[in-house]
Amino acid sequence: MGMSLAITPEPKDRMNKRIPVPFSTQLPEIIRNNYGRWIDRKFHGNGIIEHISETGDRIFTVKVGLPSNSRLSVDTLEKFVDIADKYGLGVVRSTRGMNLEFITDSLDKALKIKEEVEKLGFPVGGWGRSLWHITSCTAYLTCTTAVVDAPSITQVLYNHLKPYFTGEIELPAKLMIFVAGCPNVCGGTLAGDIVVVGHYGQAPKPDPERIKFCLPTSAEALKKVTPDVAAVCPVGAIKLFGKPDGTVGIEVDERKCIACSRCKNVCDYFDWDPNKIGVAIFAGGKTSNTGTGPRLPYKVIPWLPVNPPEYREVVAAVRKIVDIWRGEAKPGERLGDYIDRIGIDEFMSKLGVPRTRHNRCEEASWNFGVRQFITYM
Amino acid sequence: MSEQKTPSDLERGMKMLEYLEGGPWPSYVKELRKTKYPIEAYAEGLAKKYTPWLSGSFRVRYVFSGILARRSRDGKFVEIHFRTYAPAGRFYSTSYLRKVIEVAKKYGIELLELGGNTGALVMNMIAEKADEAVDAIRTIIGTDVGGSGDTFREFYACPGPALCEFALYDTLHAMDYVRSHPAIYRYLNTQMFPYKIKFKFSGCPMDCATANSRSDFALIGTWVGAPEVDQGLLRKMVEEGKINPKELVESCPSKAITWDEERKELRIDGSKCLKAMNCIRKAFPAIKPGKNRKIALLVGAHAQGHFGPKLARAVALLDSIEDVIPFATELINKYMELAPRRHRIGDMIIRRGFKVISEVADKTLPNKPRGTPSAHLRVSIAAVLTDDERKMYEDWSRSLVREYFGEG
Repeated sequence: MGMSLAITPEPKDRMNKRIPVPFSTQLPEIIRNNYGRWIDRKFHGNGIIEHISETGDRIFTVKVGLPSNSRLSVDTLEKFVDIADKYGLGVVRSTRGMNLEFITDSLDKALKIKEEVEKLGFPVGGWGRSLWHITSCTAYLTCTTAVVDAPSITQVLYNHLKPYFTGEIELPAKLMIFVAGCPNVCGGTLAGDIVVVGHYGQAPKPDPERIKFCLPTSAEALKKVTPDVAAVCPVGAIKLFGKPDGTVGIEVDERKCIACSRCKNVCDYFDWDPNKIGVAIFAGGKTSNTGTGPRLPYKVIPWLPVNPPEYREVVAAVRKIVDIWRGEAKPGERLGDYIDRIGIDEFMSKLGVPRTRHNRCEEASWNFGVRQFITYM
Repeated sequence: MSEQKTPSDLERGMKMLEYLEGGPWPSYVKELRKTKYPIEAYAEGLAKKYTPWLSGSFRVRYVFSGILARRSRDGKFVEIHFRTYAPAGRFYSTSYLRKVIEVAKKYGIELLELGGNTGALVMNMIAEKADEAVDAIRTIIGTDVGGSGDTFREFYACPGPALCEFALYDTLHAMDYVRSHPAIYRYLNTQMFPYKIKFKFSGCPMDCATANSRSDFALIGTWVGAPEVDQGLLRKMVEEGKINPKELVESCPSKAITWDEERKELRIDGSKCLKAMNCIRKAFPAIKPGKNRKIALLVGAHAQGHFGPKLARAVALLDSIEDVIPFATELINKYMELAPRRHRIGDMIIRRGFKVISEVADKTLPNKPRGTPSAHLRVSIAAVLTDDERKMYEDWSRSLVREYFGEG
């Protein structure tokens, strides 16, 4: 690899963002030749898809499960790249669900890729009626606003649900799980089949020492502009006031607070009790227009304790939801469609979760996504 | 007898990491250990149930987006990572990845997040070498850092025509076109918006790019009228037992399909069809999407915003991707003018009404078929619970744990 580093940068050039190399340079010739000409697909097990072109060309895609948050060391990536060069077409694709696809031109080579990555400890699967992915945000790895640690929750969930990914146990339809460390839901979308979201479960407490870094220095300034830390609160629970000594005071109204963590997004110096944090679990959302269409999920469990590293409560709840669905859904019925068919109340009583003001789960008629164009369809 | 010393948070955390290395799924902890990532900071955070990171301040000259810096609460560690733009569809040739590896070895801590959630490829770097690293990414890899803060986040497109027979428009070309269009490009290195803006491109209504729920500008391929049926091929596939026409009729969510047993013909009522793709997925290529193809433009979806999560609302059916530029330019100007800080476009719609969008669409997309946007429910993600409520859910979860893990 010739890396002659003759960088003599004119730093101002950095103002002009360099758009990445065109995607066409990344594609192998066989895909460029058959671009937009695919006419059929065949599955070879759960992790290999054969795409057939109108020209008669065929390519095979192998889907490989990656560690939580698609964290890879350069060492592992190098091994993958070698496999892709040796048995593949010199191209891989990073999927939306944080997995990796290898592309090759024969079933033999695809099976060889499967064998090689499995030797390295990486499973192949995740298409058809299976667990497609568990997507995670970075949480404690790099994030300042994370409440719970998503990668470790993802790791234990994957450890328990691996047979659904590899296809050893079949599911009624595809299942996509998302794990996010805080209500910002960076771990993918809220509209997933099962979504685990960490939250405070309590109103944040300003750090008495350091909250001043997020406040104006003098109360006079409050007359001109509302500082971010109060302006971002959607329910007006954060009050700023001038103190007699001319500095600014802050108060959080616990009765109004919805623990959305918007304030935490703009200011690091809010504090909370780690024993009260927890996860909420959502079920039945999706973005796809299949079945009854796209929808946001129901909040079925508003709070569960988080106990690293086993997270037994979270694992048990997710497995319970999967088991109910697996036992009763019709073939091809996604979790959301199944819940729609039996009704959310029935589903909640099967789950047995206590219902409070936090998980009323009101049913609504949904018409989202491209279905909003119904008059022109 | 001396008392047993209680283990420190770091010791407890390191024990937890050992547990997380043990399962059947490839472990991220094993990957972290192969790199120079400050794993002690992470372990301690895990044990304390408290994120170890605070925002750091870090600047590379003339780079205003894409570089994120953290420092640990105890001041011992620094963590810098770059978001880099990815080629459309996130197809990476091995030669591209070998360059990424070279740069990550020379300027980084040898850790990557291959498929970042915004769409970016995230590289963990060494703070002292960040300046050179930016230039190395630009000149050696041939991409750039960017996509953080109040600007355009990394664009995302489904694999589209490169790998999928259902793609109804060229999502990869569309993504490159929009990202490099001067009207969009000019904002890439600035943080001028009230909050972030995302574009996502999905080739068909199945929406593999999750545009419906995650993007301020969602562009989803669709068609008008009924799917196209090749009656001859369908008859053949029915005779071969590959398709059960009665099942197609029953499972259609729109109830738009009828099967004529006598003439062995399948009819689909285009006015009823909801584009659920049920029949197409089952009987491709005998049933295909219709010929009158459009790109559905929807706006205002996100999870992270002032008024909570929302799904996208319909604006118009476009004929080509070029149509979106004047609309987006106009709407972005409105957004900068009207929305308070930390409000997404979806929040602006809630505060000002959908007429903000309609006015822009009237001006920039005349004569395009317009959608009827749905109203939105307010969904609250988090909640403040009382101690009693917490106890109730804790007790319930205990019974669930007994069900799955036994009494232990």
